[in-house]
Amino acid sequence: MKKNAVIAMILAGTTLLSACGTNNSGVANSSPYASGTGSPAASADGGKLEILTGNVGGKTPEGNAEFEKELSEKLGLDVTLDKPASDYDQKVLTSLSSGAKYDLIEISDLAKLDVFINQGVVTDLSDFVQNSTVLSDPSVIPTEEWEQVKGPDGKIYGVFSKFQGATMPIIRKDWLEKLNLEEPKTLDELYTVLKAFKEDDPDGDGKANTYGLSTSGLYDIQGIMSAAGLKSRYVMQEGKRTIPYATDAAIPMYEWFAKLVKEGIMDPNFITNDTAKMRNLFLTDRVGMITYWDAWVGMFNNLKKTEDPNTTFQAEGILSIPAADGTILMRRGDPDFWIIPANAPHPEAAKKFLEFWNTQEGITLGSLGVEDFDYTLDNGAYTLTEIGETANMDHGVPYWYNSTVKSPFPALPGVEDAMALSKQYATLELSLSTWPDAEKIVNNYALKAMSGQMAAKDAVAQMQKELKGANLID
Amino acid sequence: MRIIKKNAMFYMMMIPIVVYFAMFAYYPLVKGIQTSFQDYKLMGERPYIGLDNYDLVIHDPSFWDALWNTLYIGGGILIIGFIAPLLIALSLNEVMKSWFKKTAQMLLYVPHLLSWVVIGGIFIFLLSPDTGLVNMLLVNIFGMNPINFMADESWARSIMIGSAVWKDMGYNCILFLAGIAAISPSLYEAARMDGATRWQQVRYVTLPQLMSTMKVIFLLNTLGLLRIFDQIFVMRNPAITSKVDVLMMYTFQKGIMEIRFGPAAAASFFVVLFTLLLTVMVRKITRFDEV
Repeated sequence: MKKNAVIAMILAGTTLLSACGTNNSGVANSSPYASGTGSPAASADGGKLEILTGNVGGKTPEGNAEFEKELSEKLGLDVTLDKPASDYDQKVLTSLSSGAKYDLIEISDLAKLDVFINQGVVTDLSDFVQNSTVLSDPSVIPTEEWEQVKGPDGKIYGVFSKFQGATMPIIRKDWLEKLNLEEPKTLDELYTVLKAFKEDDPDGDGKANTYGLSTSGLYDIQGIMSAAGLKSRYVMQEGKRTIPYATDAAIPMYEWFAKLVKEGIMDPNFITNDTAKMRNLFLTDRVGMITYWDAWVGMFNNLKKTEDPNTTFQAEGILSIPAADGTILMRRGDPDFWIIPANAPHPEAAKKFLEFWNTQEGITLGSLGVEDFDYTLDNGAYTLTEIGETANMDHGVPYWYNSTVKSPFPALPGVEDAMALSKQYATLELSLSTWPDAEKIVNNYALKAMSGQMAAKDAVAQMQKELKGANLID
Repeated sequence: MRIIKKNAMFYMMMIPIVVYFAMFAYYPLVKGIQTSFQDYKLMGERPYIGLDNYDLVIHDPSFWDALWNTLYIGGGILIIGFIAPLLIALSLNEVMKSWFKKTAQMLLYVPHLLSWVVIGGIFIFLLSPDTGLVNMLLVNIFGMNPINFMADESWARSIMIGSAVWKDMGYNCILFLAGIAAISPSLYEAARMDGATRWQQVRYVTLPQLMSTMKVIFLLNTLGLLRIFDQIFVMRNPAITSKVDVLMMYTFQKGIMEIRFGPAAAASFFVVLFTLLLTVMVRKITRFDEV
């Protein structure tokens, strides 16, 4: 009996441990130092730094480990870099709600910042930023940019992780040239160009297998809706919440898209496309224009050039179609920024990182990666390794604010022109907490109108009715 | 007490299981119910606000739309997903060639092994209006115009039901076949001696003998009826959300997208409650206790 009891106890113990082991995917265990093996001895308070990030770090587990090691050495801190492979936003929320403690969390959604402020999650960084010789320098971060990361109380709650560009129409310039077409400047000209992309065999394979335009649902048609002067998401007018895409002014725009769909000029999968599918169509000569990020202009050209040095492929970012009064609307993306959670165990270490991240050393690490792993430096000459080539000079900071730091490599083809347009014309969108609910309604009816499933007039009327009914517009 | 002492070893073996369920099933459930009564914030004070979260959910038209969608899609999956594999199992049982039977079983079972990410991708590809196989057939053989199945509300629920049934058909079919295999051959022999035809053997021997298996499968599938999530998450798109967003999507939207844990917890509680009600109803209707 005794022997059986001992066996049972062992069985019970091992089962319990294995059960716990398979479910404990919490923060403590995700840290390589938590197990106590190979861990540098925990230094005094401030000597550790735990970071939760979606973009920063290596592109592979090995690359991430190298990045973590390099960051530890550069900062003189024991750095833990937690970079989930997927579902980053969910990881942030589950971590915060479960009481997990990080010193820094990367966020890329301004609407979330407001929510986090309301939920008491974030630390006020106003004094730190204003007193920091690095961060208060306008050449490091232009003064007006800080407005983006201020809360409703005017306090600064975040520090930028990288420079975020804008979205715009991206067109096949080589197709334009081949078909003797000019860059479109009006909606009619855009229609003519897109129709030619569909019908005039721009890829020269003798088959009618190309489309004029592809999007990924309603993301991001701002460059075209600009023609009617319609800004995406919310716009406050005389203190009232309005959604321009849900106004009568949007009707002719939806009708314009429906015409493209009806004539087969628009990629018929635009509703179900994700952005990767849309990019692939563009890269595989299936479509002449998409609407996407400025940074991708360079990446498209670079990818095709790497694939085939003799390629004629040439992507170009173009201006949004101007409205009747000449206004050009472009969508600037929400910035990627760091917050220090209210429960951060080592806020001083986090501040040390935030300053470092915006210096030449930090920017080099965030762009080129780790020396002798992602790149080599020989007598001032930088060379990317094979791993570095794959990472495409993006370890969380493909572009940055600090104007005193120059990239050792020339910009990817076309990206500087595209970004110049962004800097000149792009503006942020207004993110209100009710947008997720409103977005469902706007997307639903806008897509129905664009695809011709519903008359644009009826779709907009229904959109307005539901938005008002749910108190999502005033 | 004497019995407990006698079986002490088995009781001790149960401890980790009880602890496991207490920690990872019942504790989160209790926490969830607690959250549903709070103005839940990620950090700081979380005051109790009574039934406000429930009130918000009950008065949210999206919740009722989601409930109706769940019952429609889940009900479709439950009924068709029960009948289709049963018919196939009965048909396969009549097949004499064992190689055909085994091959058919294997082919039917494979989709069950694939994740919804894969299955969703397959369906989106197959039903694509320009390069999808289904539309190619419709256009080239029947001369029809392509149908944008995945973006058309009138097709949305049928596709969700059809793909879910297709995915789990093989799994349920194997359960039915296992039930059929357990039927005593002497019953068939007796039926044959009484002059029963193949159909009569199915009607009067197989189906009655399979009843207990059918009840178990139906009840198990009922338990999952309101918890559809992965499939919808993968296969939905903004054009069809109003027809396919289910209760778990509503919870996900409120909790993760909008960071409103209180209403999300309240909605989750309704899912638990409705599942309990459905299960009790199915048990009553099927007289499950007589299994």
